[in-house]
Formats: sequence, C-alpha cells, structure tokens
Amino acid sequence: MEPAEAEFLAEKELVTIPLLLPYSCLQFIFQGDLGPFNPGLPVEVPVWLAINLKQRQKCRLVPPEWMDVEKLEEIRDQERKEDTFTPMPSPYYMELTKLLLNYASDNIPKADEIRTLVKDTWDTRLAKLRLSADSFVRQQEAHAKLDNLTLMEINTTGTFLTQALDHMYKLRTNLQPGESAHSQDY
Amino acid sequence: MSEAYHPVGPGLGLEENFLSLDDILMSQEKLPGRAESALPRLAFALGQGAGTGDSIPEQSKLEIPLWLAKGLHDSKRRIISVELPKIYKEAWRTVFSADANVVDLHKMGPYYYGFGSQLLNFDNPENPEIAQTILQTFISRFRRIMDSSQNAYNEDTSVLVARLDELERALFQAGQKALNDFQCWEKGQASQITASSLVQNYGKRKFTDMDA
Repeated sequence: MEPAEAEFLAEKELVTIPLLLPYSCLQFIFQGDLGPFNPGLPVEVPVWLAINLKQRQKCRLVPPEWMDVEKLEEIRDQERKEDTFTPMPSPYYMELTKLLLNYASDNIPKADEIRTLVKDTWDTRLAKLRLSADSFVRQQEAHAKLDNLTLMEINTTGTFLTQALDHMYKLRTNLQPGESAHSQDY
Repeated sequence: MSEAYHPVGPGLGLEENFLSLDDILMSQEKLPGRAESALPRLAFALGQGAGTGDSIPEQSKLEIPLWLAKGLHDSKRRIISVELPKIYKEAWRTVFSADANVVDLHKMGPYYYGFGSQLLNFDNPENPEIAQTILQTFISRFRRIMDSSQNAYNEDTSVLVARLDELERALFQAGQKALNDFQCWEKGQASQITASSLVQNYGKRKFTDMDA
C-alpha cells in the first residue's frame, strides 16, 4: 500500500469546522447525511470535505484535541519510556498532521512545534519497530504480535520485512533434508 | 507508481525458478569438480583441450558451471563428482559464524545464498552445516541491511551496497523504495502527476515519420 492510499483512508476521519461564511443549507452526501450547516456554528465533517471547503475559504478548521503541544509532549515522552507501543490518539495521526498542517496551519497554534513533536514520536516508534523486527529475525520466531501500530508505520517497513522473512523461510526449509530433488534417469 | 514489469524472483530452495534471471545468472557460477570416468571427445567443450578429438582422462580436475554439474550429477553413473567451493568450506564457515557483517559477499560470488542452496542438491556430508551457516549469515546481516536501507535518503548508496550479495541488494532496494515513497508523500509530491517511467523511454514520434 502506498502512503497516498493511507492518506486517502485517513481523510475519512471527522474533524470539527466552524463555518465562516453564510453557507447554510442541508447537505446530503452519499456517505451519510452531513449538516445542517449553519454559519458560525461548528459542525463535524470528514477531513476531505473540510480541506476542500478551507481551500475555497468557506470555513475555518479547529484542530483535533490531541493536536496540542502539551499533549503531544506527553505522548512523546511516554513513547520514549515504554518498550512497547503506546496507543496513539488517532490511528492516522501522521496523515492528519500532514494534511492539517499543510492546509490549515493558520488555524492551528504552534504548528511548527507540533510538526516537530509528531516527527519525534514517529521516529521513536519506527526505531522500536525495527528493533523488534531484528529480534524477531534473530531468534527465528514464528509469530509476533505488535499492538497499537498505525497503517503508515506498517507500510514503511512492511515490504522489506515480508521479503526478508520469505527468504528466511526458504533458507530454513533447506535445513530439513525432505524429499530428494528430482533426478532423471536416462 | 507501478513498475514496468514484475520480475520473477529467485527460487531460494533446492529448486531454482526456471524463469528467474537471477537464477539463470547464478547457475553460471563455476564449481570445482573431478571427472570420475573418462569423457571421450569432450575436452573442447569443457575448455581443456585444443582439438575436437581430445578426451578428458579420469580423475582430472574440472571447473564446471552449476547447471552442467546438476545435470551430470548422478550417484549411480558417476560421471563427475563435485567439491565445495572454498567459501562453503570449514574455514570460511567459521569466519561467517564469528562475524558475518565484515565479509564482502559480493566479491565471494555475488550469489552466495542462492548458490549455497543449490549446493545442497549434491550429496555431501557437510550439507546440514552449510545450510545452517547460510541461514545464520542471513540473520546476522539482516539488521545492517534494514538500518542502512531505511535511513539513507538521497545519498549515494554505492558504499553501502558494495558488500552485499544479489539477494541482499534486492532487499536493500525494497527498503529504499519504501523510504523514498514515504518521503515523496511527505513532501506532497505524491499527488503531483508525473510521466510514467514506461513512457519516458519512448522517443517522440512525429506524424510525418509515421506516414513516410
């Protein structure tokens, strides 16, 4: 799966937007009903719609409650302390950060710090993932379980890890003598 | 985004993949061996005589490619017997078990893993140790490949790749691709339309050329 596909899935998440301009009408969209849209009142919509409206300057975006400097610092410190993965506030935190900070950074206070904090957390999690992949391979385990991983992290290491494990499996089956190779007798 | 074609990977077990280019190149590697019976009139084919009528006497040493060795190997008819190349022998096996990361696997025959797996086809009392060594080498080098492929963005990777054999290089490419995809997405280039790699290689054709 490509990062762009993960971003597409992330855009289904709901975010709150208070409307700026008078744009009051009931909107029925195929995914379900959205609305009513009354100007000035915040309403929850999927991210893709919010970004679209924001680009057309019809609304303002409110960052999700976890996108806040103190909260992210807490998450980052906890990530660094624990050996296992901490549950992240949203399963799409990386994609949402990128989308919201690219299109709506004027609505989000301390955008740069947030970007740095999220990147730090991301780096820590990836390092933990690589460490556990290495110990998995080294001990030739058959089964591993990792909680609280997000789709984006799995994408980044997935292809490499599955290929390496394929090779390892084939090399391991060499160890068993098994049935002899086909030979032809003339 | 998608590749021009999906190459068939090497079969890493006792059997090769018939359609895999890697396996074809790998089976060209030479094995030291010995002719068990006299081979009449084959000296020219095996590179050891000048005239077409020369034959190879018994017990003379030969270097034969793997595909030929596999075809001629038969415990009943005793045409040739094969020996292990030196990197699969005892001395090098201890080097690998000491520290596999320092070995230049590209120089040692760029298909260490594939060739080693094929060697297990021939009956040899050391086969279990060879299989074990190959597996352990792969496991110890895995960490370094993973780290270097996932952290080298936009750099010249020739130094990192120089000591890897072909199988490890393919893994390195996979890791690099994942890294590049992620970075490209993060910069926002994933939503830009670019010309496909398939089409970039076509020369521009003009209508006048097609009519003529």
